Amino acid sequence: MYFENIAALINMDGHGVYVWTSVAVTLAVMLWLVIAPLISQGRLLKEVSRDIQRQQDRELAAQKASNHEESN
Amino acid sequence: MNWLSNKLSSGPSKESPNWQWFYRLGSPRWFYLRSGQWLPWLSLAALLVLATGLVWGLAFAPEDAKQGNSFRIIYIHVPAAFLAQSGYFIMAIAGAIGLIWKMKISFMVMKAAAPIGAVLTFVALFTGAVWGKPTWGAYWVWDARITSMLILLFLYAGVMALQYAYHSVDAASKASAILALVGTVNIPIINKSVDWWYTLHQPATIKLTSAPSMHMDMFMPLLVMIVGFYLFYAVALILHTRNEILRRERKTSWVRELVTAKAGL
Repeated sequence: MYFENIAALINMDGHGVYVWTSVAVTLAVMLWLVIAPLISQGRLLKEVSRDIQRQQDRELAAQKASNHEESN
Repeated sequence: MNWLSNKLSSGPSKESPNWQWFYRLGSPRWFYLRSGQWLPWLSLAALLVLATGLVWGLAFAPEDAKQGNSFRIIYIHVPAAFLAQSGYFIMAIAGAIGLIWKMKISFMVMKAAAPIGAVLTFVALFTGAVWGKPTWGAYWVWDARITSMLILLFLYAGVMALQYAYHSVDAASKASAILALVGTVNIPIINKSVDWWYTLHQPATIKLTSAPSMHMDMFMPLLVMIVGFYLFYAVALILHTRNEILRRERKTSWVRELVTAKAGL
């Protein structure tokens, strides 16, 4: 390592506050760029599966109704 | 002229097998399924390369003789600025492909590229401002390089805003693509701004045409970070594009089949 110890690495001769702020903000927004689409993808997939479920329920109900009519 | 007309008439039919990948890539379904296989490996590579470059640049590279340790901001500032500009080209080219070949997926790539580019431009501007304080004594200067980067941010924002300005997806895509293409004129201005105007911003550290103006011990981690940012960009672009594919194709049978298979319905 270029620095003598961890404290020197954090302090960077007084420039640490600038360097570490830049790093922290950059990593945070980069992480957000990856997480945001994953969250929205999960939401979309859930929506699609709910649509499928609803359609299946409707079909099942229609089938039951027609069976009921036939038995009458 | 005979040879030319022969060539023209025989050309496309002979070459068509080579172009199959191009048409397949244009299928949202193919892209969605295939990119799902690439993503874990690309993400792993991006993570490893970025971690290596960051530790190397922040903790092991020697400090700058004039700027001291504040120069270490270069390891995120330059790669972010690089990708902010490359990303703009990617967005504009995707828009052009969409306009010319009417490929559905390319407009989705264009839409996906806009927020990623905007965030990277913001990172370049933010880290530049933080770096400016210890180096120039000011967070912000109306310097040619900085101003042209701010315009880049507005262009990205404009492409994003146009996506929501129309009711029809097709009209929105076309308008965004045209704005993206017109905006490419800003990229060479950003590049040359440090040469054309007398600016506070230092000249380019890396040029394709000449050796880097920094010591190898400092340059190597920067190169690693640039590669890492490219990998990260690829991951982010694929994720955002997949998201857009799902949003636009959620009513199609292939998406329904995919969800059914996944949930075991």
